[in-house]
Amino acid sequence: MEITSFAFIIFFASILLLYYIVPKRWQWGILLAGSLFYYWIAGSSLLILYPVLAVTVTWFTTWVMEAAGEEHPRRRTAALIVEIASLIGVLALLKYIRFGETEAGGAAAVALPLGLSFYTFTLVGYAIDVEDGIARRQKNFFKLLLYGMFFPTMISGPIQIYRETGEQLTAPHRFDYDRVTKGLQRMVWGFFKKLVISERAAVLSNTIFDQYDAYPGAYIWFGALMFTIQLYTDFSGCMDICIGAAETLGITLPENFRQPFFSKTIQEYWQRWHITLGVWMRNYVFYPLLRTPLFMKLSKTFRKKFGRKAGKDLTNILAMFILWSAVGLWHGGDFKYVIGSGWLHWFYIVFGMVTLPFFKKVLPKLHIRMEGKGADLFRILRTFFLVNIGNVFFNAKSAGDAVKMLRLGVSEWNPQILLNGSLLTLGLDGPDMAVLAVSVAVLFAVSLLEVLPDRNGKVIVFGNYGPGYSSSAFIYQGF
Amino acid sequence: MSREEIYEKLNDVFRDVFDDDSITVNDATTSADIDGWDSLEHINLISAVEQEFGIHFGMGQIVSMKNVGEMVDIIASKVK
Repeated sequence: MEITSFAFIIFFASILLLYYIVPKRWQWGILLAGSLFYYWIAGSSLLILYPVLAVTVTWFTTWVMEAAGEEHPRRRTAALIVEIASLIGVLALLKYIRFGETEAGGAAAVALPLGLSFYTFTLVGYAIDVEDGIARRQKNFFKLLLYGMFFPTMISGPIQIYRETGEQLTAPHRFDYDRVTKGLQRMVWGFFKKLVISERAAVLSNTIFDQYDAYPGAYIWFGALMFTIQLYTDFSGCMDICIGAAETLGITLPENFRQPFFSKTIQEYWQRWHITLGVWMRNYVFYPLLRTPLFMKLSKTFRKKFGRKAGKDLTNILAMFILWSAVGLWHGGDFKYVIGSGWLHWFYIVFGMVTLPFFKKVLPKLHIRMEGKGADLFRILRTFFLVNIGNVFFNAKSAGDAVKMLRLGVSEWNPQILLNGSLLTLGLDGPDMAVLAVSVAVLFAVSLLEVLPDRNGKVIVFGNYGPGYSSSAFIYQGF
Repeated sequence: MSREEIYEKLNDVFRDVFDDDSITVNDATTSADIDGWDSLEHINLISAVEQEFGIHFGMGQIVSMKNVGEMVDIIASKVK
């Protein structure tokens, strides 16, 4: 049951109806039953045991932590280690056991439970917060089960933080006309992104990525751009549907996107793209890593040897390498992800850090201003371009193919193909191409209104929705 | 230690970490108010504060403090 299918709409409408007609203390029961039903249907039956088991382990270990209290800190730590090791262990086993084998190559694919990495991160974060004392333990197993398996978050997140959403899920919610209509509007906007834009952009990017040999020069860059549009509208569209659905139920989920393509730097991009993953990685990987005795010691040694600024930078560069490797690995067990969504972004940031003093010295001499609107626009376009290169790795069959594609991209100077009708041979006919162009323009205009200060754009949403498009899967669904 | 005393010391730490002598923090100061206070610098700041006051922050406190006021609350609860 894809969330863009008519079956999902009927399922969701039934949940919504039941949710507001039953007594309020039963509302979370409806959500739990709905979530289990959804998982059973959409996540292929017996695989439901994975998240149920993950919640069971989390419930049990957090119970041990609470029972251990302040007197037995070792027992608390041991319980946390068991929780993390078993959940991350299952994730690693299922996802990375065939590292390097691309999807096409592996015949004996392991069946992945729906939302695996999303519920894993949500539950691990919760257990760490309980151990840290900043989340109150959920004593009721079934309430924790709902937190781990809340159906709108089972497709592609967002990764939740217990102190933000945990209590909301089980609290009584009164029917609020404004919130329900707002949520429904948000869902429609998501369907528009996914069905009108993403599905069409996918046709173009697939054609080029599948047979890139036949499409040198500007075709490659057009294909990369189409994939970036496809990926963004797919993932953020899915989030609009999920967050909107939760909103109709009176539950506010964390945002995952804030107009990422208006970012001026790669660092900023990661604060606006897949936000909940970035926050999770920062809180549970990056900070703890920097706080380990090893890194504290390294930091001191580096500072003594190379001075304050350089010493600090070196420590951060090292810690960031580990962080970006983790981000890359999270995307999938293949070098194309480790490079395209990990190391490449690490390199961008380090390169920027290292060359900044140079540019600060040289640019004023060349009378190039580093402040102002022109410079900002340059930074936005540069960041967008760098992100596109990473996405070529993301979508190519392998890292080797991505390198070949990028080489082909600079092998020929043929920008005329963008205007002479050649693009109409890529699988979309004139009318579909026009729909895509107009829709992307609408999306761009809306995003622009959202980033411009002090302006509130009223958005009229229109979409092309039909059974022909209902079988589409989301890209991040497999992660 | 009174809040005023904590703030006096804390201002020095902030000025030192962010290399800016004009910084003066108060309860409502957040990372948005100080140039260069990103996630990397946050940990450096925490380590510097820990050294200055001879205390230790828990990981949960580090990720959940929302402004300088909350940081001072934690410091006040740990130093006698």
